[in-house]
Amino acid sequence: MLTLNTMSAEDILRPAQELIQVFQRARKSLRMYPANNPVYSRTIEDAFRRSDGFLLEYGDLELKFRQNDILLGDQVVYQSQDKEDNFAFFFFKDGVRELTFRRGLSSMELGEFLRAISFDFERHGEEEDIVTLLWERDFEHIKYVIDENFLLEDEVYENRAVAQAKGESNDEPELKRIYGEIMKEEDVSGQPEVAPVTKADLHALLKELERDSVSKLPKLTAMLFDFFQEADISEYVGTVDLIIDAFEYCIKTGDLRSAVGLLAKASDPPPVAQDVLLMKKELERLLEFASSPEIVGMLGEQLDSGELFETNIFEEYVRRLDKSAVPSFISILGELKTIEARKRIINALVFLGGKDIQALAKGLSDHRWYVVRNIIYIFRQIGDPGVIEFLVKAARHQDVRVRMEVLRALGEFEGQQGVLPALREALDDPEASIRMMAVRALGRMKSAPAKKIILSRINGKGFIDLDFNEKKEYFEVLANWPETETEEFLLRVLRTGSFFKKSKVAELRACAAYSLGLMGCRGALGHLEKLKNAKNRLLSDYSYRAIKRIEYGQQPGH
Amino acid sequence: MDSSLDISRLSREIVSQLAVIVRTSQLHDPRNIAVATSIEKFVSGANVLILEESSMEIEIVGEYFYLNGERVKFTMEHLLNFDFLQREFKKRALGSIKFMCEVSTADMQEFLTVFTSCQFSAEPFEDLTLKIEGLRCISVGRLRRISEQSDIDMRKTVKRTYFNAVSFTRGVMNKIKVGERISMKKAKRVVETMVDTLLDKEEFLLGMTVIKNYDEYTFHHSVNVSIISVALGQRLGLDRKSLMELGLVALFHDIGKTLIPNEILNKPTAFDEQDWKVMTRHPLSGVKLIFQMKSFDSASVRAAIVAYEHHIHPDGSGYPGVKPIAELDLFSRIVAIADQYDAMTSSRIYARTPMTPDKALALMVKRISSQLDPLLMKFFINLAGTYPVGTLVVLDTMELGIVFSANQSDNSRPKVKVITGPGGNRIESWVADLTEKNAAGGYLRSIRKTVDHNKYGINLAEYFL
Repeated sequence: MLTLNTMSAEDILRPAQELIQVFQRARKSLRMYPANNPVYSRTIEDAFRRSDGFLLEYGDLELKFRQNDILLGDQVVYQSQDKEDNFAFFFFKDGVRELTFRRGLSSMELGEFLRAISFDFERHGEEEDIVTLLWERDFEHIKYVIDENFLLEDEVYENRAVAQAKGESNDEPELKRIYGEIMKEEDVSGQPEVAPVTKADLHALLKELERDSVSKLPKLTAMLFDFFQEADISEYVGTVDLIIDAFEYCIKTGDLRSAVGLLAKASDPPPVAQDVLLMKKELERLLEFASSPEIVGMLGEQLDSGELFETNIFEEYVRRLDKSAVPSFISILGELKTIEARKRIINALVFLGGKDIQALAKGLSDHRWYVVRNIIYIFRQIGDPGVIEFLVKAARHQDVRVRMEVLRALGEFEGQQGVLPALREALDDPEASIRMMAVRALGRMKSAPAKKIILSRINGKGFIDLDFNEKKEYFEVLANWPETETEEFLLRVLRTGSFFKKSKVAELRACAAYSLGLMGCRGALGHLEKLKNAKNRLLSDYSYRAIKRIEYGQQPGH
Repeated sequence: MDSSLDISRLSREIVSQLAVIVRTSQLHDPRNIAVATSIEKFVSGANVLILEESSMEIEIVGEYFYLNGERVKFTMEHLLNFDFLQREFKKRALGSIKFMCEVSTADMQEFLTVFTSCQFSAEPFEDLTLKIEGLRCISVGRLRRISEQSDIDMRKTVKRTYFNAVSFTRGVMNKIKVGERISMKKAKRVVETMVDTLLDKEEFLLGMTVIKNYDEYTFHHSVNVSIISVALGQRLGLDRKSLMELGLVALFHDIGKTLIPNEILNKPTAFDEQDWKVMTRHPLSGVKLIFQMKSFDSASVRAAIVAYEHHIHPDGSGYPGVKPIAELDLFSRIVAIADQYDAMTSSRIYARTPMTPDKALALMVKRISSQLDPLLMKFFINLAGTYPVGTLVVLDTMELGIVFSANQSDNSRPKVKVITGPGGNRIESWVADLTEKNAAGGYLRSIRKTVDHNKYGINLAEYFL
């Protein structure tokens, strides 16, 4: 034991003071950083290194607590008058009067100790105190002494109760009389036989304890609904309040299965209630609560923390919500940090959004581009033509990534009103990637109006001046219409000659060769043979590759 | 000390392995190859500790083993071994075995041969001491009695813990009645203290449950049920945290009764149908009150389940009369046992004459399966013993006594507080251990019969406080 008698005060006091400071700093760090942050584990390691060194050099450290001081022996090693951040008062207020760290303290134990003292009592601690946290950890090398007066409800109760319980004792003659009567009494007692506990009993007990380790929430949720069988109508509100609280607890603790169980029971409540309609009406509050931003926000936190829930349970949960949940889900979409969590919410919105496209469309005005892009992706998954009007509006979004997603979505609504004009408009987008995407979207449609737009663009003014790759994109999609009209058009382009803009014209001809090759147009072979030796390297190269593709059936790009 | 060493686990394993080798040595010669392998296992574990701590002493104090002064906390898997070893120690009046240096398999073989042979000796401890003199590493110590003074100090602590818990419960229930908030922090601390006291001084705290108070029945009953439940939970091998949770839920199991009007609770005549209807709603009220007192967490969920289920029986009877519940919660079944036992042995409005502890236990045995869980009841009967604490007994010495605590090594031979001499004259009460034998090997005292203390107006509190 570390005492001041065995060494000079300065030798011990300073290291003890420093160690207390280490614990204080660790407490702050652990409150500040999440457990998976490297700083968190480094803090514990550092504190352990310091405490281990101290205990090895000086032996056990026994600290005494007063309201504003910590003492080692009779020397003050910590003092603070602070009301908020007072390490002495932190222990003192809950009744801790002595705290001893014993040699042999392990890193794990110290880590647990630091976690206990860094518990956020203000946020979660209405029902906790430091003594309970230390008690639960049952440390081997950290001991504490508590002032039990702290617990006394009524200081004189014990004396009063003892006096009352003892009452008057039987005096000597009375006791003798009783004794005499007892001796005359016949023995009629039949004590139970005490069979010793066997291995089979222990085995059964083990199974029992195993069964007991499962969550108690399903039982509680079932129980709360049983209340309706016993409750008066006046108690319905209170019962549903309890069910709602239980539901919130299920979500908080990540027990989505029990939460789903509550929703399922709420939609099919017990038939024995006195006023089923009133009960159902009250239970609607649960559904509203399940869809509320508060609950959906909690779900998001759970998802972000890595709790992804079983897929079927999550889907079942979402299936039980109504369209009022859409805004709540949209609002967390932008907050989630992990991809997996976002995927789950997107899938939920694909289901819920289908019930209320208008509500989902409100997400298009979100200031975060990625939220808007996600909404468009969700529209695409929903596949309802009703979303087109919103997609068309979103096609003018300022962020190119959003516009790109819009085009992907629009491309899947072939033949629907409003799609073609939007795609045509996108062909004039300032971003080349968007323009090319619009071309591809038109190509995927394979419809006559789409072809018409492509051809009219190719024939339009200024097309020749576009970048070669963009021009090539138009000709590539043109191959999606392997018709005589297309062949003739391409052959015309292939044969085009000009004294002006020679290289640009050669680019056009190369694109036509490329397209004919993709179509496998054998009728073009003669022309291509002539052009494979053309002076223009691009044209000769594309002509040669088109011949090969036509002759050997090679796929584009090979 | 090597900080990576899990001393608690190692200690448990050493004591448990000692039980294994003692048991096998009673069946086979310790030099037998099968026994030798077990001995080697013990030796290797023991030497780890001896090397770390330079010596190792296994000591029995009260009902617990201590290893180098630290209490060895057993888990359920070691329960039988610990019980067995305790009996073997006590048979030989052996209090401790000390290993002063590294021990070898040969040392242990020799020790076990002597240990086994001396069990039938008239003076087993002396015999054992004499015969192991040649072993340089091993010495033994006689079984110590807990001194009278420390007994008195313990009793003071236990009394304080008990009455503080009752006073707290009284405060809680009164506060609930007037709609005040209660401190769950304090509730936890009260139960933590009870659990600690029970783990250290089980017999004393269990003894307090025989104190009944008619006027404050509800408060005493809540605390008694909590204590009995925790004691049973400990026998089941629950860890400290679970014991605290069990103690807490048991303390609040009847909280719903605070909403029952006093006219019904204190009605001296039989309940009519309406009274029963109100009475049988207390489990539901309990659930609601628990969630008013405490936010949702694992403890409040459990407390609500127990408050709801503690009057539902395994056969589906009981109340509240809802559809059959698939399986009652483990804590509900534990609390139901404690609740019935304490209620039957207490004087209440609707049962003014309480049963004697042994009669209550006998009646509970009849209710096994229908009302009470068979497995848990088996552990409870082992906890209570053939003669539960508080049973008034006549000894074959014609002395009158009250069962003071159960005896783990022999259920039918508890410790008895002797309150009269052989002629019925009042004496300064003292505790007799009914496992004690005379020089000829016969028991010094045995129970001749049990008597109803209520019938004769003997106040147990006089002897337990």
